Amino acid sequence: MTGARLLRGAVGAAGFIVAGELVIRFVISDDLSFPPPSVILAETVRLLADPDFLAGLGTTLANWAVGLLVATCLAVPLGVLLGSLPPVERAIRPVLEFMRPIPSVAIIPLAILLIPADGMMKVSVIVYASVWPILINTLYGMHDVDPVAKESLRSFGFGPLAVLARVSLPSAAPFVATGVRIAAGIALVLAVSAELIAGGAAGLGVFVVQASSGNRMDLMMAATVWAGLFGVVANLVLLAGERRLFQWHRMRTGARS
Amino acid sequence: MTRKLRCYAAALGVTVALTLAGCGGSDDGGATSANSKGLEKTTITVGHLPIPDPVALYIAQTKGFFKEEGLTVKPETITGGAVAVPMIESGKLDISQTNYVSTFRAVAAGKKIKLVADMYQAGANTFVIMVPNDSPIKTVADLKGKTILVNNLDNVATLAVETQLKVAGLTKDDVKFAEKPFPDMGNAIKAGQADAGWITEPFITANQSANGFRKLADTMTGQTEDLPIAGWMATEEWVQKYPKTLAAFQRAIAKAQQLASSDRKEIEAMLPKYTKIDAKTASVITLGTYPSELNANRLQKVADLMLEYKYLKSPIDVKSVIAAPASSG
Repeated sequence: MTGARLLRGAVGAAGFIVAGELVIRFVISDDLSFPPPSVILAETVRLLADPDFLAGLGTTLANWAVGLLVATCLAVPLGVLLGSLPPVERAIRPVLEFMRPIPSVAIIPLAILLIPADGMMKVSVIVYASVWPILINTLYGMHDVDPVAKESLRSFGFGPLAVLARVSLPSAAPFVATGVRIAAGIALVLAVSAELIAGGAAGLGVFVVQASSGNRMDLMMAATVWAGLFGVVANLVLLAGERRLFQWHRMRTGARS
Repeated sequence: MTRKLRCYAAALGVTVALTLAGCGGSDDGGATSANSKGLEKTTITVGHLPIPDPVALYIAQTKGFFKEEGLTVKPETITGGAVAVPMIESGKLDISQTNYVSTFRAVAAGKKIKLVADMYQAGANTFVIMVPNDSPIKTVADLKGKTILVNNLDNVATLAVETQLKVAGLTKDDVKFAEKPFPDMGNAIKAGQADAGWITEPFITANQSANGFRKLADTMTGQTEDLPIAGWMATEEWVQKYPKTLAAFQRAIAKAQQLASSDRKEIEAMLPKYTKIDAKTASVITLGTYPSELNANRLQKVADLMLEYKYLKSPIDVKSVIAAPASSG
């Protein structure tokens, strides 16, 4: 089953690359200078031997990981708190709904002004962007808790904290995990965007800025391929983790993915 | 509304504070008073573009000129002059690359910025207007009614083009300027989005060889001959606070500028180390000059041109913008 799906995915990707190669080489080569996929893929592999690129990749991924971790540590307790105290949630909700749609990339210039330390500035914008999906999903998870289960525990004399620990948290956990997985992608977007806008000593985005100024479209695209590959891998790892941890949740809801 | 804004600011503050707690220790300040040269600050962060102009920074770094002065320099890539000003203001960068047109505009807008060292001066054919080989545009006068791509509007690009338009009897109202990053100009012109582009290296060489573009006009002749292009800047506050550190930086950079202007091989060897310009391209691109002295009279030409073409409303006395090196250590 998964083998066949993997095969189909690989065929799709290969077909896309071949189509891109043909279109760029034969259809638009006269009107547009753009490196074909074969050139980009060769550079993508070659980048593994470039210490500057690897240092940059390390910096970007470290920012990504720290940002995602801080966002999770912020958003999950806040979501649980708001989810268990509906009046507080109603009071804060308008503010959240106001802040959530602000494009996170738009706050990068503000962050440059406010936060002098480069790494902290980048991590902060990653945190800002990643908090929302985790927070909103945690809230949904808290709303979704089975009221009968909560009532049963209460009637057996369990206190509110025990109900939270035994029913609400386990029940909301799969939602939290989905929120973290969505946030992982957003965090990567912001990690690279912050570097593209602000520059820095090293980073995937910094590498792209340098390649662009040096007229190396092939290197720009190759670095972008690595960002994409990392995004795919991060998503797969988190998805596999979700499946393993929350097998019971899929059984209960009948969710198939 | 104000409440929301306040909450927004507070939340951002919380985020920042928590992040600070999460990953503190990334900034090592570098402000030490106990060092052999008596520098107020021994570690400085310097912002620069990944282009040939700031090559002296890397020459000084590689040859140990900064080290001789007791200075540790951390270079950082910046993405343009627009973000460099807030970065020196916030203290993220101590010193940054800037172009003179941007600097004088910022000064006119009330920014407390000082120029601390010269960096790059245009030479013949370092900034040219290019058109496709088969373009009907043969002279600058043919640009009437056409669209010209520039990297930034209302900056050195448009100023340089305007000086050439003037010679051909045109003004900026006779053409259309459109903004486009240098790497995208070739494709945009080939796709018919524009008729010509104001282009610098390594893109002049690239567009000649890959796209078969030809040079329509050199924009660094006549009024703009030997036009000062880029320099190093810091805030007025920084200059007053760290005079010895600044002097050390100025001495090291001047030494490296001298080396760069006397031997092109030094530049060619350095470019592949901090830009993505390879050795082969480095050996063929057209380069300007690297003055080792920050000269107010030379820079005044930029401010005067800006006034003439209405980039400035009132004149600027460049002497007041310069933090000239002290004559003796």
